[in-house]
Amino acid sequence: MNLAAMADELSLGKLTPELPDRDGTEITAGYASDLLSDVLAHAAPGGVLITAQVHLNVVAVAAHVDLAAIIFSSDRTPEDAVRERAVEEGIALFTSDETTFDIAGRLYALGLRGTHG
Amino acid sequence: MRRFTADLHIHTALSPCAMAEMTPPAIVRAAAAQGLDMIAICDHNSARNAAAVQEAAGDALAVIAGIEITTSEEVHVVGLFPDAAAAGAVGARVSETLPENDAEAEERFGRQSVLDAAGREVATEPRMLSAASTFPLQGAVALIHGSGGVAIAAHADRPSFSVQSQLGIFPVDAGLDGIEISAAGRARGRENDFSLLALPIVASSDSHFLSDLGSCSTRLDVDEATFYELALALQGIGGRRCVLA
Repeated sequence: MNLAAMADELSLGKLTPELPDRDGTEITAGYASDLLSDVLAHAAPGGVLITAQVHLNVVAVAAHVDLAAIIFSSDRTPEDAVRERAVEEGIALFTSDETTFDIAGRLYALGLRGTHG
Repeated sequence: MRRFTADLHIHTALSPCAMAEMTPPAIVRAAAAQGLDMIAICDHNSARNAAAVQEAAGDALAVIAGIEITTSEEVHVVGLFPDAAAAGAVGARVSETLPENDAEAEERFGRQSVLDAAGREVATEPRMLSAASTFPLQGAVALIHGSGGVAIAAHADRPSFSVQSQLGIFPVDAGLDGIEISAAGRARGRENDFSLLALPIVASSDSHFLSDLGSCSTRLDVDEATFYELALALQGIGGRRCVLA
């Protein structure tokens, strides 16, 4: 599944339209956590992170782990600085009005799996 | 220059997770028994008991009015202030963003006692102090600075509610004035993990029980035991400094 298909399937809001070339990026795994220390330690490269954490560091950590995308759950919307940093880093950001649990469940049903870090 | 022993993070019975024994007179007695020259009262998301502890202490020891704010990222930040009014103003802004407390929450998380200097309960706090405020880290630091206070990353070595646990990487632009290490972290030399941040480090007990007081402390090399001298020590001005005791 690529990012465009994921956004379409889950009716996600796109926060980084500046990154159309990322649409075809294949997602390799899923991860859900609000603790960025945990994301740093266990998320897999190329994956998508589902989180309620909107601090700027979420992009720094995602870049460090080399994540493909971040989905902000429960309608949490980051500030512009977060979006701008994500565009610089080439990390696609999405929003959803669904909870982390429901988003993860839907991605799992679509065949995406987590990793054992 | 003189040396003072400070424990800059102590809860009272206002914090739902602190013991009912944490009353102003009992805290002052325990602090004096531990040989502390300065303490700071830092309840969760409120400063409503700080003035009562100051009154209970009189001239016996310096009591700094403080607060421990839970940010929207669930990072704990200690704010220390020039006086109880400054701390109270910040506490009011923070607590108004919290959900209402109710009997069930009090049963589950603990009583939130507003106490007088003699330790009598005069009210209970109506907001749920155990919840996270809506202030993000940078906003909380700005709020503290705006009231003339200093902002310290609470128990930075701990795996929960710390800058590191919540944000993964220490944001050097957050405006924090210092880093606090817990008693357990101090015992393991965890202060060394933060040596590259070029921020002053203090060690505090984060007492929730009377027996915790002074379990870990900071030596202040300053002219007198006041908030202003502490603020100068955090900046390392005029040879003043904070030294892990």
